[in-house]
Amino acid sequence: MWRSHPPASRDSASGDCRGVCKAAIAPVGKMALNGCLMRWQELEEEYKGLQEAHRQYKQKLQEVTELQTSCSASIRCQKQKLQELLVHLRRYQTKASAEELDTVKALQQSIKERQAVFFDMDAFLPQKNSLYLSLVLGSINVTLLSRQAKFAYKDEYEKFKLYLTIILIVTSFACSFLVSYRVTDEIFNFLLVWYYCTLTIRESILISNGSRIKGWWVTHHYVSTFLSGVMLTWPDGEMYQIFRSQFLYFSLYQSFVQFLQYYYQSGCLYRLRALGERHNMDLTVEGFQSWMWRGLTFLLPFIFADHFWQLHNAITLFKLARHPLCKEWQVFVLAVTFLVLFLGNILTTLRVVQQKVQRKTESKSKIR
Amino acid sequence: MPNHPNLGSPHHPIFQWKLFQSFMRQNRELHCSNALNTPKQTKSSREASSPFAELLTRRRGCTMADRSLTETLSEWNDLQKGNEGLQQVFQKYLDDLQTTSYKQSEISSNIARQHRHLADLAKSLRKCEHTPEAVALRIQIQQRDNELREMEGFLPKPSGKYLSLVLGNLNVTLFSKQAKFSYKVEYENFKLYLTCTCFLLTLALRLWNSYKTIDTLLNFLLVWYYCTLTIRESILVLNGSRIKGWWVTHHYISTFLTGVMLTWPDSIMYQKFRLQYLDFCIYLSLVQFLQYYYQSGSLYRLRALGQRRSLDITVEGFQSWMWRGLTFLLPVLFFGHFWQLYNAITLYEMACECGWQEWQVPVQSFTYLLLFVGNFSTTLRVLLQKLREKRQKIS
Repeated sequence: MWRSHPPASRDSASGDCRGVCKAAIAPVGKMALNGCLMRWQELEEEYKGLQEAHRQYKQKLQEVTELQTSCSASIRCQKQKLQELLVHLRRYQTKASAEELDTVKALQQSIKERQAVFFDMDAFLPQKNSLYLSLVLGSINVTLLSRQAKFAYKDEYEKFKLYLTIILIVTSFACSFLVSYRVTDEIFNFLLVWYYCTLTIRESILISNGSRIKGWWVTHHYVSTFLSGVMLTWPDGEMYQIFRSQFLYFSLYQSFVQFLQYYYQSGCLYRLRALGERHNMDLTVEGFQSWMWRGLTFLLPFIFADHFWQLHNAITLFKLARHPLCKEWQVFVLAVTFLVLFLGNILTTLRVVQQKVQRKTESKSKIR
Repeated sequence: MPNHPNLGSPHHPIFQWKLFQSFMRQNRELHCSNALNTPKQTKSSREASSPFAELLTRRRGCTMADRSLTETLSEWNDLQKGNEGLQQVFQKYLDDLQTTSYKQSEISSNIARQHRHLADLAKSLRKCEHTPEAVALRIQIQQRDNELREMEGFLPKPSGKYLSLVLGNLNVTLFSKQAKFSYKVEYENFKLYLTCTCFLLTLALRLWNSYKTIDTLLNFLLVWYYCTLTIRESILVLNGSRIKGWWVTHHYISTFLTGVMLTWPDSIMYQKFRLQYLDFCIYLSLVQFLQYYYQSGSLYRLRALGQRRSLDITVEGFQSWMWRGLTFLLPVLFFGHFWQLYNAITLYEMACECGWQEWQVPVQSFTYLLLFVGNFSTTLRVLLQKLREKRQKIS
């Protein structure tokens, strides 16, 4: 019976149904579009405000850039004149009378203090990058333009050192005790090379931002990069196998000492900074800085042991170099490098310790 | 300026007072007929013929010394005045910096919010009917997105993972089109100089040396070169360059390959492969050299015609715009790719022949194969794309 019904009626019914549906959808679709258009209008209004804010920001940025240029130029000019004054005063010192000598000395002191002020001011102005940074990064400005940003960058540098030190401890432990393939040693050496290279880049950035890390502690990283690089190229042979364990144990110990130093120094630094007694950009570095005397005497023997282990490495390698079976150039070069590292480290640490002892005795005699 | 005492001005009156005192004392002494404190500036060798002459000499000597100290003090005084002005300007600069950095974070978050709202709007628009109004709105949304991205070019962007690992949270955004363009030019020049250096070194090694030791120098230079390229390219990408995909990965793989080459001990297999490797490096340097000149020339021409984005760089490979008049470079590039395949095959045969003790051989073989496949397929894809576009234009 259903089939006898003409399908047209069903069709028309469904057609009516589709028509009803379309008629129902059309206003809904139009409503959605209207909703979208209204939303778009709201966004337009917000965008106008944003455009204006952005225009003002660009203008401010332009003004700041101009101020930067003028401040940099003035400071440069002043620094030059101060340097000339210092030269002149030094020449004058030889023929000054006793009273004038006091004046001259006081003036020299003031000039030096002014130069220190300019050094700090320069840390907030864009500087030309050092040769190393301009080779690696190009002319990117690496100056962080607020004290907060500099401090945050320094904190991040310390954390980076800490995490990498932990990774190096784990890797050297694995290479020393768990696996003994040349491949894994290579991976460890590549990691060391990359770590020291990255440290040199980050430290150059810190120096551009006013950090006073200097001298041996910076060179030390370049020398360590070279050392790890030479270690990398040392082919697997008898000589290598003889030295391998000593090197891995040494790396493990060195990473452990750096880890200890991080905890003691960062604690001490925070305490000193809270007391307002230190320059904010001092870093924890491999080595003993002058302020570390406070309560850190316990770290000294560990640090000296590390230095003497480097000497022991140098002596071992010199002996290996004279071995009849030794043909590799790496042995002698590594021996010299370890010796250089030992001398640099021990002399610098001793000098800092001596300076501190001197200052302590001076302050004690003053009190008396 | 926080924490910095205003130096110099408290001292200055003291200097002047001391100087004045010194002047007065010396004048008194000079007028006094009694024994005088001999000023140091009188030359001991000079014998006064009379007391007056001695006095004159002394006074002349004193006056000269005082004048030079006076000059110094007056210069210091001038510098003081200049410094006060400088400190004020510097303080204004620091305050403006602070304001700018607040504005930066505010505007960045507003732009991010606008992006989110636009994305939501685009999603809801997709559910609507396909009317001309909807289409127009979709185009407007897209345009607005592009405008927002241009605005973001003036705001500091967070660095990617690689840059954060190497540089830390340093802002590497360049805030003007000119700065971005000059950074790019500097990158190109860096590539050119290093390519020349590597070319000369490789040529020297090829002709005059057969020691692994000096080869090591070349390999270290190459590793450093590729690492530095990866850093600089990451900075360029952050600043809006559209170098992408394979050409970036290619540098990481090349770093790895050269690193493996470094660790390869001096053995018979190494000596067998060495000359082929050096010849390949020389050829690669020449190709990069050629590419630099043709691409930079072409790029300048296109940019002058306003037809390309400024941040496109010369890369090892064929970019889509290079079709214009650079067809002659194609065979040179393909030859380089096939040489990589030949290296892969040579190393594989060496490994099969001489045993698998030196792991560097199969690893390098695989890496060269990977480089060949990546380079060849990417170049081919770009070529096919261009041919298709040409055909569409013609039809």
